[in-house]
Amino acid sequence: MNHLVLKHIYKKYSNGADAPYAVKDLSLEIPEGSFVGILGPSGCGKSTTLRMVAGLEEITAGDLEIAGKKCNHVPSKDRGVGLAFEEYALYPPLTVYDNIAFCLRAKKVPKAEVDQRVRAIAATMKVEELLKEKVGGLSGGQKQRVNIARALVRNPKILLLDEPLSHLDQKMRQILRREIKKLHNEIKCTTILVTHDQMEALSLADYIAVMDQGVLKQFGTPKEIYNEPANVFVADFIGEPPMNLLTVTANTEGDGTAFFEMEDGSCIRVPKRLQRNIEDKGRYIMGIRPTDMALTDRRDFDWECEVDVFEDLGEERTISIRIREDFCTMVTQEIQKYKKGDRIHVKLNPERVYLFDRETGERIGKGGYYGKDVQPQRAGGNCAESSDTGSLSL
Amino acid sequence: MAKVTVENLTKKYGKTTAVRNISFDLEDNEFFVLFGPAGAGKTTILNMIAGIGDPDEGRICFDGQSMNFIESSKRNVAMVFENYALYPHLTIYENIASSMRTKAHREPEEVIDREVKRIASLLRLEGLLDRKPSQVSNGQKQRAALGRAMVRKPNIFLMDEPLAHLDAKLRNAMRKELKAMQDKLQTTTLYVTHDYAEAMSLGDRIAVIHQGEICQIGTAEEVYNMPATEFVARMFGDSEINILQGVLRREDSTLKLVLPLSNRSYELPRHTAEVLEASGRKQVDVGLRSSAVRYSWRPEEGYVKGTVYTMEPLGNKVELTVKTEGGAVRLMVPVTETPDVDETIYLAFDVSGGIYFDSDSKEYIVCQKETAGKEGKR
Amino acid sequence: MEQKKRGEKALMLAGKVLLVFYTLFAVFPLIWMIIIAFKGDSQMYDTLFIFHPTLANFKNVLTKGSYVKAFVSNLIISGGAVLVSVLVGVPAAYALARYEFKHKEGVAFTILSFKFAPEILIIIPVFTIFQKLKLYDTYFGMIWIYQFIGLPLLIWVLRGYFEDIPVEMERAAELDGYSKREIFFKMLIPLIRPGLVAAALLSFIFCWNNFTFGLMLCGFKIQTITVSALTYISTSTIHYGQMAVVSVIAIIPEIIMCLCIQKHLVRGLSFGAVKG
Repeated sequence: MNHLVLKHIYKKYSNGADAPYAVKDLSLEIPEGSFVGILGPSGCGKSTTLRMVAGLEEITAGDLEIAGKKCNHVPSKDRGVGLAFEEYALYPPLTVYDNIAFCLRAKKVPKAEVDQRVRAIAATMKVEELLKEKVGGLSGGQKQRVNIARALVRNPKILLLDEPLSHLDQKMRQILRREIKKLHNEIKCTTILVTHDQMEALSLADYIAVMDQGVLKQFGTPKEIYNEPANVFVADFIGEPPMNLLTVTANTEGDGTAFFEMEDGSCIRVPKRLQRNIEDKGRYIMGIRPTDMALTDRRDFDWECEVDVFEDLGEERTISIRIREDFCTMVTQEIQKYKKGDRIHVKLNPERVYLFDRETGERIGKGGYYGKDVQPQRAGGNCAESSDTGSLSL
Repeated sequence: MAKVTVENLTKKYGKTTAVRNISFDLEDNEFFVLFGPAGAGKTTILNMIAGIGDPDEGRICFDGQSMNFIESSKRNVAMVFENYALYPHLTIYENIASSMRTKAHREPEEVIDREVKRIASLLRLEGLLDRKPSQVSNGQKQRAALGRAMVRKPNIFLMDEPLAHLDAKLRNAMRKELKAMQDKLQTTTLYVTHDYAEAMSLGDRIAVIHQGEICQIGTAEEVYNMPATEFVARMFGDSEINILQGVLRREDSTLKLVLPLSNRSYELPRHTAEVLEASGRKQVDVGLRSSAVRYSWRPEEGYVKGTVYTMEPLGNKVELTVKTEGGAVRLMVPVTETPDVDETIYLAFDVSGGIYFDSDSKEYIVCQKETAGKEGKR
Repeated sequence: MEQKKRGEKALMLAGKVLLVFYTLFAVFPLIWMIIIAFKGDSQMYDTLFIFHPTLANFKNVLTKGSYVKAFVSNLIISGGAVLVSVLVGVPAAYALARYEFKHKEGVAFTILSFKFAPEILIIIPVFTIFQKLKLYDTYFGMIWIYQFIGLPLLIWVLRGYFEDIPVEMERAAELDGYSKREIFFKMLIPLIRPGLVAAALLSFIFCWNNFTFGLMLCGFKIQTITVSALTYISTSTIHYGQMAVVSVIAIIPEIIMCLCIQKHLVRGLSFGAVKG
């Protein structure tokens, strides 16, 4: 059952006819108990979306349904949401206990029950020892725990987290990320996490919604987002080092082979899988991740090119090929060293070549990769031969 | 362009010694990297070479000529600062041209114009020359700062973490740009960084600095494969190297390594065993990089059971910390592996790929890569 | 929702009306001053807004008495004082921002503390000192004492500006081959200009309007305009109209200067000249 449903949500901050939309035609269906990450660069409308779900912002147009009930005008306190902001927003003069108990007391919950619930939630969030402390003296990580505990104590139907980790240092972030993941596994409360950190979303969420300029770019599992980006924006945003995106012109030949001609005139062979999707002389954007390119010999190659920059980073080596102003980078484990000007032969992983429309940026021809992903196979073994994502090895 | 010699450099701030007894040589046209964690004294060394602050002891020579107590404006060094330090009230053009408009390096306006245009095209700043620094992006500011330093022919080119303020994507791209430009620079360069990838990618040689002292000077391969100390080993690599306590035990007349982590003995490569035997130690520290740790989600022969404790995404990989009965181990898995916290995982260790250290002095003894190299030479 | 919007609009309107009232309240003395400058003596004591405007007061002030001379004196003293403040204050501010020396904060605080004591408190000792040094009623003495009015402000504002400029920028310039003097004039002065202009203007205004020093430390050869206004108070009557004219003319240079450097003023006082 879908617990939280957003139907064609629009949001404008000012009334003018040509005022920009902060959120535009956003539709999401979020299953009960799932963990959803809303991911995007700053100003993409992700926090606005969260605030609309929380009831802190009015919805300009569209419907918001929680548990099958339309909630557009239900006041925030009656929606059953728990919110934890990036800033802690705790009441500094009160103790941790009073902070957590605050909203229960406001609702006139009997004292015994307040005590029992606060202690239970404090145990879950590991802040039992801090209950008598004043909030002002806590560390960042402790404050964020109390913050989440306060959001959880009212037994929310939906837990909303707005960049809860971005103010913390690396170490604390790591620990709290683990706690959040564990917490969600325990209480299975529908959770929405807003973040700009792709790695945080990939590691925590069951589903990720990628947004840009108020528009939903893709909604899917982390694997779908990573392996099957729906458009250029998602392809470019997810992954580090980023996907190589090359502007190409297609050249189909009579004998059934096809080439992409790049801006600098060099040619790259089109994988068979994509041949039916391209038109002769059509212009596309081709995407390939640095880890999906491999060095090969003269006999069977897709691309012959010249090394511009070679870097040896210990575990792995990167080879960058210059195409006009930009680099196309590949990552390899091979020990062989190269220098500028060496000619190399590159084979692309045909399953993992992405093709995008040059105008709209939309993906053309979904990959053959999809089918394989469905089977929950997890090959273990040496990192070098690695897992089901194949080329993503160390 | 000059040969730069640094001898026994020491610098004290009050009672603390920031830099102690540092010596190194820069060959003509060498790209030399000072690498170390924050507060190691890297920038202090750089500043002394630039003439910002004099050393308490030691000597700095350019082409054999002592530079101590010579004003920085007379040393003819060019420097790129961490925060770019562009002149905010001047355009990018004027910034790049500035050094050629001083008394020390005065050039006629035609020369200035030609040089600025040349540098601008090299750094792809052509369209931005009329803008003020506040009107360009961080990456462009960084390139303009480079341009300002590159425009003349300095004795030495000093760079103080020039990429530290860029975001990850831009940093990667700029690192490659710098690497691509190295040939064109034709200058002795001293580069300070705390990013191991920058150090390995760019440096002809790397000096690893820790608490004001040099731990090791060597090529990227040397410091990565044959680190002089455990500290150096820890500094390189996305995922920190696992240092495990091992016990050497003689079994059937061959020396074997016992890892308390897995409670089984491993056979050692011949050369490694010989060197360890000769060292006469019973206990060694074994450095295992994450590539020497294999994993599986199912129990397998020779694998140790553990649970996933933390997941730290790093680029296209995730660093897992796995808790086993014998301690914690870090390893890297692809980002698309999304194990749950506390999920069971099985690990195996490839000790032949390990780096062996003295367990007391924490200094390097032997590693397999060294062997491979030597055998190759034979 | 409709009701809510209407409520919001009413609130906005009420706020605006209040602001208009306050503006009238705040500016009224100024308006009244201008009005009585144009009133004849006969109408001086009524509070009507409708009157026969006359230039008699202006004629009186500008042709009789020593007002024009006082105006020039005031310009010399205030201008001189600001010039001295800038010459002394800019290097002082730089030193306080950049160099480490013993009791640095103490020195900075002492400079600021010049502004703590009201002028009237120190005027008697200053008067005796002036008498002994024969500085009484001289331009030198007046400029000397007036520059204390603006100097602390100038130093503190500019110190903040200098601290905002990254020290690396100066080092970069040094490595580029600039001499210290060139760095100061070519790199630093352009960057602190907004602050310099704003602080200098405020100093000028404070000097221009000063009354105590002008009253006590000069009066025969030199007269400031604030003091010359007093001459219109005689034993029998007070020429309010003429005093108003004195004030109206006195604010003209200030207004002109403010308008000329308005751009700098806003930027100068809101900072952020170098950052970003």
